[in-house]
Amino acid sequence: MYEAVAAYPAGDSTVSRQAKTAADYGYDGLVVRTRNAAFDADAISDRYGIDVVGGIEIDAADPEAAAGAVGNHRPECPVLLVRGGTDALNRYAVEADRVDVLSRPLAGDGDFNHVLARAAATNRVFIEFDLGVVLRKSGGPRVQALKGLRKLRELVEQYDTPFVVSATADSHRELRAPRELRAVGEQIGFRAEQITAGLEAWGEIVARNRERSEERFIEPGVRRGRYEP
Amino acid sequence: MKHLPKHIRPRWRYLAVEIEADPDADIDRGAFQRALWYAAGNLLGDVGSADADLTVFGFGFADGVGEAIVRARRGETDPARAALACIDRVDGQPIGLVVRGISGTVRACEESYLRDRSPDLTEDSVAFADDQRSAIRRDDVAEISLPDGFVAATELDLH
Repeated sequence: MYEAVAAYPAGDSTVSRQAKTAADYGYDGLVVRTRNAAFDADAISDRYGIDVVGGIEIDAADPEAAAGAVGNHRPECPVLLVRGGTDALNRYAVEADRVDVLSRPLAGDGDFNHVLARAAATNRVFIEFDLGVVLRKSGGPRVQALKGLRKLRELVEQYDTPFVVSATADSHRELRAPRELRAVGEQIGFRAEQITAGLEAWGEIVARNRERSEERFIEPGVRRGRYEP
Repeated sequence: MKHLPKHIRPRWRYLAVEIEADPDADIDRGAFQRALWYAAGNLLGDVGSADADLTVFGFGFADGVGEAIVRARRGETDPARAALACIDRVDGQPIGLVVRGISGTVRACEESYLRDRSPDLTEDSVAFADDQRSAIRRDDVAEISLPDGFVAATELDLH
């Protein structure tokens, strides 16, 4: 199971502290959303026994800017997230097969519907369930977020859209162990297996993109073999 | 009032909870209990929180690390765990927590899951983000004091 977190300078904890906590809580890996976080993935995984993957969460104002950033950063990073939040950005992200994850699609005034769910399934763009709002907000904003999560869940189930689950932690204190996330998920209407699948999906994305960046990889299903000149 | 005969007493489960906060945070049992009730009330509703009947039994907190034992009714441990996960601040101070395990008695809970972490703090000056900064260190972790608050780091970040 993997979790995706923000780290210093965007958050209050460094990558290594997040990794130490995540390893302690039983995660196998950690995706870092912050582009300018400085860390040595090998040193951290030697020390704490957790796979640390550098990712980028693109937070753009409009699809044009997001497309530019995707083009710039795609070659260098194993996990590419686009932060949603407006209808235009959500639509751009699910239709771009270079994007791995559409994060926080329902934050702000973003919305999601069956067309986007279907497009995301076609392009294998994972939709993020952000449990952070459930864990850290209260009152009206939390009710809104829960409403959004339910809508998103119904669409994802209907159209078999790939999804990921995250607590969107900005510091190691906001991290929660997988069992806690499963318990919260069950309270808000998820099945425990869905939460587990969502946490494991980060690992799938990492494995898929690592495979793609290998020298032997030509396209899905095609590798350079032994007999190639 | 005379206490209930043993076979109709409620059965309890005890959750061992580990807490982590800023080194200068000040949290006591009452504040944690209040936060727990609020979290349960908000997540589980009045009915659910009455069912779970969450009570903080043991509580210890010093220098940014702490432990608590939370009692819940048997069969309600999943809602209890969910309510605990939703505590993100106590008295406005951000905390992190994790359920280490669940036992049927307080004693088993303490012995199996809580390990009295020694908060042997040392104040130190460390190099971080191109500058010398003061830090509070415990084991291999360090809370580095920056102008706009603490940054949580480990030995690997220090040069």
